Amino acid sequence: MAIETTVVGSYPKPPDEGQTFTVRKTLHALERGDVTEDDLRAAQDELVTTVIKEQEAAGIDIVTDGHARWDDILTPFARKMRGFEIGGLLRWFDNNVYYRRPICTDKIEWGGPASVEAFRFAQSVATVPVKATLPGPLTFAKLSVDEFYGDHQEFVLSIARVLAQEAFELEAAGAEFIQIDEPALLDAPEDLDLAREAIYVLTSELKSAETTLATYFGDAKRLGPELFDLSVSGFGFDLISGPENVQVIKELPPEKRLQAGIVDARNTRLEDINDLVREIEMLCSIVPHTNLRVSPSAGLEFLPREKARAKLTRLAEAARRVE
Amino acid sequence: MGVELPGPGLWTTSVGSLPKPEYILKARSRFARGEIDRDELRELERKATKEWIEFQDSIGTDVVVDGEQYRGDMVAFFAEEMPGLDIGGLVRSYGNRYYRKPIATGPVGRDHPLTVDWWEYAQSLTYKPVKGMLTGPYTICDWSFNEHYASRRDFVLDLAKVIRDEALDLEKAGARFIQIDEPAASTRMDELDLVIESMAIVTEPLSAHTITHICYGKFHEAYPKMLDIPVDQIDLEFANSEYSLLEEFSTDPFSKFIGLGVTDVHTHAIESVDEIAEGIRKSLKFISPEKMFVDPDCGLKTRTVDEAKEKLVNIKKAVDVVRSEL
Repeated sequence: MAIETTVVGSYPKPPDEGQTFTVRKTLHALERGDVTEDDLRAAQDELVTTVIKEQEAAGIDIVTDGHARWDDILTPFARKMRGFEIGGLLRWFDNNVYYRRPICTDKIEWGGPASVEAFRFAQSVATVPVKATLPGPLTFAKLSVDEFYGDHQEFVLSIARVLAQEAFELEAAGAEFIQIDEPALLDAPEDLDLAREAIYVLTSELKSAETTLATYFGDAKRLGPELFDLSVSGFGFDLISGPENVQVIKELPPEKRLQAGIVDARNTRLEDINDLVREIEMLCSIVPHTNLRVSPSAGLEFLPREKARAKLTRLAEAARRVE
Repeated sequence: MGVELPGPGLWTTSVGSLPKPEYILKARSRFARGEIDRDELRELERKATKEWIEFQDSIGTDVVVDGEQYRGDMVAFFAEEMPGLDIGGLVRSYGNRYYRKPIATGPVGRDHPLTVDWWEYAQSLTYKPVKGMLTGPYTICDWSFNEHYASRRDFVLDLAKVIRDEALDLEKAGARFIQIDEPAASTRMDELDLVIESMAIVTEPLSAHTITHICYGKFHEAYPKMLDIPVDQIDLEFANSEYSLLEEFSTDPFSKFIGLGVTDVHTHAIESVDEIAEGIRKSLKFISPEKMFVDPDCGLKTRTVDEAKEKLVNIKKAVDVVRSEL
C-alpha cells in the first residue's frame, strides 16, 4: 500500500548555493524601474515550474505552487478584495517571519479572483494534481484590523463570503484539492462555532473539490472533537509543534481524511527515514490508511531550499516503504 | 544607575544599529565577491563608525552607539564567530528580505572576544560612554535552527554563558552600559521564564548599567512579567504602538529605567519635534525623567543615512524642549 504525500503550502524561494536567485534580482530591478511587471511574472513562472518539478522529483503526490508569488498568505487576497488596505509588518505566529496586516476600512466585497490565474499556470506545468490554498476566514480576521464592522462575527463571515467565491472559481478552474489554512483557530476555541459557520459558507457551494482545513504551529486539544463538525473533507495537523495532536486525531470520524505533518518544517535536522516509517505505521493504526496523507508540519519556507528538498525526499521514501 | 550622567535625566541614546552609508554597502558586496580583502573592508567600517560617533557627539547624544557598521544580521554576526554554530542557507523574513539562519551543530562556545575590539575603537573616539551591544541568548536560539541540543532550554542556557563571558570582557575593557538585545523575548509567553533565567546568567556578575531591548511582540501579555527580566533598563517601542503600552503602566508601574522609543523605524516619515515632545510628556506621567532614556523604536539600519540623522536630530530637539519644561 502506498501512503499519499502532500505539502502544506509554501516552498523556499532561494535557489541552491551558487545558483542565481532570479526572482530576488528581478524584484530589486523592478524597484529601480529597470524591468517590468512582465519580467517579474516570467521570473516567478520559472520559479513555480522549478518548485513543482522539485516536489514531483521528491515523490510528492499532491503539490502546491510553493506560494512562489506571495509575500504571505493574506496580502494577495486582501489586495484583491474590496474593503482592505495593507498595513505594517507583524510577526507570523511565533516565527522570525513577518506578514503585512490587512486593515479593513470599508465593506468587504469580491473584487475578482486573486489566485486563479496562478493556479491555472501551476496546474499547466505539473504532472500531478496541484492543491490550491486559501487563508481561512477566522485566521484572516484575527490577523487583520477591523476598522469598519465593529462586529467580529460579521467581519469573519464577510471574509468567508469572498473566499467562498474564490474557492468556487478555483474549482471551476480545475482545482481538485483546496486547503483552507486556519492556524489561528488553535488559540481561539471560543470562536469554534463561528469558524464552523464561516467554513460552511466557504465550502457549501463546492461540488467536488476535496477540502482540507489545515492547522499548524500547535495542537488542537483545546478545540475538542467538535472541531470535526466543520464542513470539510479532512483536517491537517502539525504533529511536530503539537505532539498532543496524536490524541486529537483519535477522535477523527472515519469518513474524514487526515493530513499529518510529520516532518519538521521549521528545523533543519533531517528526520531518519526509519523513524518516519514507524510514525506512519503508528498513524495507520489510528486512521484507515486510505484516509491518511502525510506532509511536512507546515509550509517549507522556513527552511533553506536544500533542506526542504531533502526532507520531502525522505518523507516520500518513508511513505513508499510502509507496508 | 551605577553611572553618573549629567543633567536632570531624559538622556538621549540609540537602540543599536545605524544605517550603513552607500560606500559600506558597496564594499560589503565587493568583499562578498572576493574583490577586496577583509582589511580593506575593515578600514571603511572604521571610517563609517567614526562618522557616526562624530555625528552623535555633534548633536549631543548622551550615550552613544558604534552603529554596527561591521555587522550584517544581529544573530549571524555572533553565530559566525561561535564554535557550535554554522551559518546555514538563505531563509526569508519578509518580501524580498532574506538572511542566513545559523544552525546549532554542536555545543556552543567562544574562543575569543567578539565585540571588544570594536567597542574599544568606538570608545577611543569620544568622551561620551559607548554602549556595549550584544544579542541575547534567547534571541540567538530563537532565530537559529537546532540540530544539536535536546531542548531549547539547553541551547539557550549554553548561549547565556557565552554572552555572559563576552559581557564580562566588555566590562573589563571599560564599558559602563551593556545592552543585551532580546527582540524575540515577547514571542512566546510560555518561554518568558526562560528569557528571565538566561538573562540572569548574563547579568548576575555585571556591575555595568544593563539594558535589554524587546520589540515586535505581545507586549500586553508580557507586561508586567517582563519587569522580572534582571536588567536595569528595558528599551521598548512606543511610537510604533502609539504609546499604547503606557495604559499598562497605570495599573502596574514601570519599575526600571526605560528606553523610550519615540520614532518609528519602519517609516520614511520624519516625526516632528512637537510630536516627539508630546510623546515624551505623555510618558513622563508614568516614569520620572531621571529614569528615562529617549531613543528611536528600534535599530535605525533600515532607514537611509539622512532619514536616520533627521530622526535623531528631532529626538534631541524634542528632549531639549521637554527638559526646559522640567
